[in-house]
Amino acid sequence: MTDLKKLYEAVVNGDAKAAHAITQQALAEGVDPLVLVNQHMIPAMDEVGRRFEASEYFVPELLIAARAMKSALDLIRPLLVARGDKPVGRVAIGTVKGDLHDIGKNLVASLLEGGGFEVIDLGVNVPPEKFIETVREKQANIVAMSALLTTTMPAMKTTIDALKQAGVRNQVKVLVGGAPITEKYAEEIGADGYSENAVGAVALAKKVVAA
Amino acid sequence: MNSRERVLAHLEGRPVDRLPLMPITMMFACAQIGARYRDYCCDYRVLAEGQIQTAGSFGFDYVNTMSDPAREAADCGARVEYFDSQPVALVEDDALLADKKRLATLKIPDPLGGGRMHNGIKAVALLKERVGREKIVEGWVEGPIAEGADLRGINTLMTDFFDDPAFVRDLFDFVVELELRFAREQVRAGADVIGVGDAAASLVGPQVYAEFVWPAEKRLVAGIQEMGAKVRLHICGNTRRILNGMGRLGCEIVDLDSLAPLAEARREMGPNQVLLGNLNPVTVLRNGTPEQVTGAVAQCHQDAGSRFIVGAGCEVPRDTPPENLRALCAYAHQHKP
Repeated sequence: MTDLKKLYEAVVNGDAKAAHAITQQALAEGVDPLVLVNQHMIPAMDEVGRRFEASEYFVPELLIAARAMKSALDLIRPLLVARGDKPVGRVAIGTVKGDLHDIGKNLVASLLEGGGFEVIDLGVNVPPEKFIETVREKQANIVAMSALLTTTMPAMKTTIDALKQAGVRNQVKVLVGGAPITEKYAEEIGADGYSENAVGAVALAKKVVAA
Repeated sequence: MNSRERVLAHLEGRPVDRLPLMPITMMFACAQIGARYRDYCCDYRVLAEGQIQTAGSFGFDYVNTMSDPAREAADCGARVEYFDSQPVALVEDDALLADKKRLATLKIPDPLGGGRMHNGIKAVALLKERVGREKIVEGWVEGPIAEGADLRGINTLMTDFFDDPAFVRDLFDFVVELELRFAREQVRAGADVIGVGDAAASLVGPQVYAEFVWPAEKRLVAGIQEMGAKVRLHICGNTRRILNGMGRLGCEIVDLDSLAPLAEARREMGPNQVLLGNLNPVTVLRNGTPEQVTGAVAQCHQDAGSRFIVGAGCEVPRDTPPENLRALCAYAHQHKP
């Protein structure tokens, strides 16, 4: 039998090849894919998040851990979809229109995925219509927006207003973050939540989908 | 003493009449003259006008040529996107060095070849001509990890540190040479100070910083100083874990973002390092009141001690209330180090 602790270690250490191989072997042995996710990969990404918060890990370590997790998820996700298992939530995430900065958004996307969410990454410079389309067509229940610049952050409000006009605002929770964003600003523009860091964003996403 | 004399004296540890004042303005300076930010980035005359007007009306001790991070990368052939009212930005999905093999054949562009670097050099020359006797003229280059990220794609570079350390070293060698050539022409055009912006350095931990980034930054800083210019290092973001290394670079000015406490920097860098910064540019300078700005800059001064230059933690945001920026400036105008 595969030693599944090694899957945890492979994710924490950012070893994508090992994570992929262990997952492949475990699935071949008949291990339930949800056991791999819930008992090994999510705890591993929790540990990665903890180390990131404690300044033991930094962006490079976090990104290679996320890559390792993805290499395992690539094998697992089709199996979960085939049997009808639902993710914790479905997040449409992107950097707002006019802003091409993506590293913060990518960290949040990775940790959300590590937290059991399905993440639809819309990339950078995302116009409001793209968020609306994703909510409609992919049934996303969270819209997560990032902005690095004070000059682009007003696009968050524009997007929220567009979600309202399109009649889909009530179907989703809107989360915002990025260097110039504050809790107060999030409230002013009518967002449902703000986190100042990527680890907090996952806790926030879990909270809003449970509400 | 005039502004230029004040800053130079302060950097050399000689007495000055008041605290020097060197906040970074780009979009704010552009808005002061009612220009489009696209033009501020692309036309050195607009940039110089914005800087001179802003420095004059707020009483800054310097002018600066920074506008966006994409001058060098654009001249190397990287795809960049221009916006009417935002900084020029790199298109990461189409990064120039998405294929690492391209580095071997990539040529360092001529800084005087009529591209975006040349435009920056012309800005230095024009600023020198118009205000260079009175104020410090500061040029700008990207640091090794910032420019490396511009060429390679920031997300990819972050994993390269683990996947291909030899490539990262080659990339940083290329970048240091590129930036030294750019800096040399700016110094020749009259820059007293060269700002080195190495924003992405705050994303890595102390090990990656020490192994890859610091040695390249050190070569760049030492090379600029050999040209006879002084160096202002600015790393956006949280640099708390690399403060010691930043101090050991020997820069004349370390300009800190608001996430790195000045008191910690003082402990890590010793009593002689000139520190610049670092009140929160958004929550205090842009969103606060003049009284809050005064309180915050006074705290910065107390934490940094006498080897201190007044500025915000990063760029003064475009829509900062002028009275808030005036409060920041008034502190410098009214206080001795």
